[in-house]
Amino acid sequence: MFRYSSLDDDCTLEEEDDGLIEEEDEIDQFNDDTFGAGAIGGSSMKSVQCCFLQENSHFFELLRNFLEVELFELEVNKYLILNLRRQPYLGDIIYVDERSGGSDLAESLARFILDADPAIAGVGAAERPAPSPGSAGSVLSALRGLDQSREGSLMSIIKEAGLPKRPPQGRADEGHDLSERAPPPRSSSPVIGSPPVRAVPIGTPPKHPMSLNHQIHHPTAVHVRAPIQHRYPAPFPERLSPNTLLNIANSPLCRGPFPPRVGPVLSQLQRAQLLNSQHIFMSASLQVAGFPRGGPGPPLLAGGGFRPFFGGPPPPHGHRMGPPPPHGPHNHTPPIRHNTTHLHPQHRRLLTQRMQSRGGTGLDRRSRDPYSNLMSQKEKEWVTKIQMMQLQSTDPYLDDYYYQNYYEKMEKRQERERDSSSKKEHATKLITPQVAKVEHTYRPVQFAGSLGKLTVSSVNNPRKMIDAVVTTRSDDEKREKQVWNKRRQILYTVEKMYSLLLEVQDFEKRFVQTPEEEREALLEQHKTNTEQLCSSLQEKEWEDRVSDEQCVMIMSVRKGKRLIARLLPFLPASQGAAVVMVIARNLPALAKKDKQDQVLCCLVEPVSAVIQSLSSSALTDLLQELQGGDGQLAGVLQNKVNHQQTVAGWLISQPGRTCVRSPAKEESTELVFSVTRELLGVPSSSLSPPLFTPPNLLSLFSRYVDRQRLELLQDKLQ
Amino acid sequence: LAVTLACRSLFQLFYSFFKSLVGKDVVVELKNDLSICGTLHSVDQYLNIKLTDISVTDPEKYPHMLSVKNCFIRGSVVRYVQLPADEVDTQLLQDAARKEAMQQKQ
Repeated sequence: MFRYSSLDDDCTLEEEDDGLIEEEDEIDQFNDDTFGAGAIGGSSMKSVQCCFLQENSHFFELLRNFLEVELFELEVNKYLILNLRRQPYLGDIIYVDERSGGSDLAESLARFILDADPAIAGVGAAERPAPSPGSAGSVLSALRGLDQSREGSLMSIIKEAGLPKRPPQGRADEGHDLSERAPPPRSSSPVIGSPPVRAVPIGTPPKHPMSLNHQIHHPTAVHVRAPIQHRYPAPFPERLSPNTLLNIANSPLCRGPFPPRVGPVLSQLQRAQLLNSQHIFMSASLQVAGFPRGGPGPPLLAGGGFRPFFGGPPPPHGHRMGPPPPHGPHNHTPPIRHNTTHLHPQHRRLLTQRMQSRGGTGLDRRSRDPYSNLMSQKEKEWVTKIQMMQLQSTDPYLDDYYYQNYYEKMEKRQERERDSSSKKEHATKLITPQVAKVEHTYRPVQFAGSLGKLTVSSVNNPRKMIDAVVTTRSDDEKREKQVWNKRRQILYTVEKMYSLLLEVQDFEKRFVQTPEEEREALLEQHKTNTEQLCSSLQEKEWEDRVSDEQCVMIMSVRKGKRLIARLLPFLPASQGAAVVMVIARNLPALAKKDKQDQVLCCLVEPVSAVIQSLSSSALTDLLQELQGGDGQLAGVLQNKVNHQQTVAGWLISQPGRTCVRSPAKEESTELVFSVTRELLGVPSSSLSPPLFTPPNLLSLFSRYVDRQRLELLQDKLQ
Repeated sequence: LAVTLACRSLFQLFYSFFKSLVGKDVVVELKNDLSICGTLHSVDQYLNIKLTDISVTDPEKYPHMLSVKNCFIRGSVVRYVQLPADEVDTQLLQDAARKEAMQQKQ
């Protein structure tokens, strides 16, 4: 059906104010006019017209709902024009495929007036599309209706579809060559699709869950592309790549930032050129390239160029490239760039280094890429902006925990590697913007007496699919699980301790950030956390002693060992010492269990830290523990597994070191004797090099041992 | 509802994780069994991945990829991402996961 809403002087913008018009009625009214009227052009236009592609009616329904667009349908020409009135923003892209009924359109113009600025109206009005010679029939002329009362807030895209009825008189060869249309220059204005400035960023949850059903202003670009049904072969196979098209269309557009002020209009010449090509794809944009062309240039836009967008069958003449436009395709294909604004400065540096090292090869390839520059830089930035908006977080430290800590660690590592003297670039910290937190409490929509849950879903309260209820297990099942329970219990304890540990670790950072008033509370919490940590290691009855059993249990799990390693520095001194004793006491057992996991070595560092702070008496106790059972020490030393060796070896050397400091004690000499005995006793092949060899160990031994043994020891220790 | 919200914060966790891997070489295996090796150029909160300088790792059963240098992979079609081991701090990752779990409980 051919529907067309004709221009009516009375039908002004102001009148069509209330929501969507029932255009069906209106259209029917004007149907006769439409069919009979012929090309309508040049009448005084103050009204807004839109034409639509009927085939996509459902799609337009959608659009309508979301955009408050008035859609009118115009089938034959396969016109798609959106009237985006009352949109507070500027920038819409409309792609229109227009195929007139048989004549080349004299004027295929989409003129979109950007602004309600009377100046523009004036400008626009001055350039009425004049019918080009030889195309009396279907004329597409753009009509502008400006609502001058609505300054700046109104953008109306007005288009009047010309009826493609009769081929122009001059034409003998009928037909149907809709084919002689040039697709309009692809618009790539920076305005297009730019979101309006909003107080509330996109993605903010709606205040009212029902509001989703209402029309929401989606200030996004509307890319409406009518599907082409390719019927006619292209007489002019010229085709310009999107790149060149863009270059043509782009040049007058590379002006200031949005909002644009004036919508340039296609010049006469341009129009003519447009018409010469096969198909006319009209791109209705706020800034359509309208630069004056000196002479008759090559057909600007050929149908093939936009084929991919429409998903139609490939042009029958293949992809022949048209003659390059006069100013040539300019190659501004930069190498692939990363958007590094959100990255840590370290990361950025790494990336640029990498890019530089790899940069050479790709450039020549890219210079011939026909699909580059499909989006202007502004458009790209706009898309990126939207994506980044969604990433705004209320608590960047938590949300971005891994990334931030990873780079912090890297920084620290690098600091350590560098000398402390060269402290340049020290202040490269990652700054993450933080959005204020908004509390949402979700309460599912419920009505009294309703059956089931209502499905009012939004991004913040998506549909509830399951009603999960917690049930406790029966006794039978409990008995079955007893075997697993022990291990699970341990794991559970470990995890709980881990969460406490993490809290404790973060305490310092948070303390710095919290305001004065809350600091006390934080401190309190910190204390309780640490207490809880300690208590979890302790015996149930004797609150003071560290529980052997518990510790060993925890250490029997790989996670547990790591946990203890991280936990040690946070424990108070006495507890730390106690834990170390426990470890020493149970070292062989632990070593055995660790065969698979091999993580005992992670304990070395924290343990060493603790040992260093131990008093000498404690140290001797420690050594005694180490020597506990018969040949335990030997066993420990002999342990084939490397790590254990190093742990043991190191443990021994440590007390040795301390003994040097306080050599007076008798027990220590005895111990040293026994240590040396053991060391000698163990065949040197099974000794693996200790992690640390204190330099004075030998000298220490030399005090107690005769020369022969000393030499043997020396050999062993190498 | 809780599941979806949990997924969102999980995405955050992995987004943070992948961000630290930008610029490194990874192999992405898709659900259609195609494996693509390339440099991780960018990732977004849906874990869509953009790779540059790609090559198909397995025997080139997919010759249509020969001319492709960069690609954008939708996050939902990824099955695995193979990472360089030394670029990952597993302990930190575990911590992040634990924090994640704690957050959810609250």
